[in-house]
Amino acid sequence: MQPVNKMRTEFISKSVNEGFARVVAASFVAQADPPIDILADIRTAVSEAVTNAIIHGYDEKEGIIIMECLLYTDHVEITIEDFGKGIDDIEKARTPLYTSKPELERSGMGFTVMETFMDSLTVESVPGKGTKVHMTKQLEYR
Amino acid sequence: MDVRFKRDGMTLIVSIEGEIDHHTSRLLKEKMDSKFIMEPVKNMIIDLSGVTFMDSAGIGLIKGRMDRVSSVGGKISIRNPKPEIIKMLKMSNIYNLIS
Repeated sequence: MQPVNKMRTEFISKSVNEGFARVVAASFVAQADPPIDILADIRTAVSEAVTNAIIHGYDEKEGIIIMECLLYTDHVEITIEDFGKGIDDIEKARTPLYTSKPELERSGMGFTVMETFMDSLTVESVPGKGTKVHMTKQLEYR
Repeated sequence: MDVRFKRDGMTLIVSIEGEIDHHTSRLLKEKMDSKFIMEPVKNMIIDLSGVTFMDSAGIGLIKGRMDRVSSVGGKISIRNPKPEIIKMLKMSNIYNLIS
């Protein structure tokens, strides 16, 4: 199936870009006129994925984050990719309430939120190379 | 993001407006903690009526303040979250702080 539209944007890992990324993703998906709560879920999941890239992928140092959105008639696929340090143990990182940075008052719920707010979540990571988070969301109620 | 403070007896009322994410939560944390230390209070009410977006950084922020308030024997509560914020709060044990 071919997407009806697609978008790719690249930005540096500054925390102020968390807001930029979620607004861009939501604006792009809004053209499909999804229910407002579905749009809100997408904003939240994108914010979590980009925050993870900034905090964990790059340890808050400067790096590149790529966000790609493929819009289909009934769903959207969103990929957030960084080229940072990667994740050694993806299963552990996805455990609810687990955080490798408790000193930052992180809730350890980033991946749990992405899983809950989106319909699917796939995490690919190579230590030392980076992490790619792939999420999908239906744009109407089933 | 904006934050306003009001004191009601021993309670600090914190009204947050705008978006709470990892970026904004750092400044919020600083402002809330310094006000809590400076004022003669032991309890905290966080009014979320003006919050238009919150991700899990907001959970971390509230849990951190909960620990701080509890450490001096005080109580913390949350007021007026919008429905989309309630969905996030329900994912953690701070949902029962809503008054």
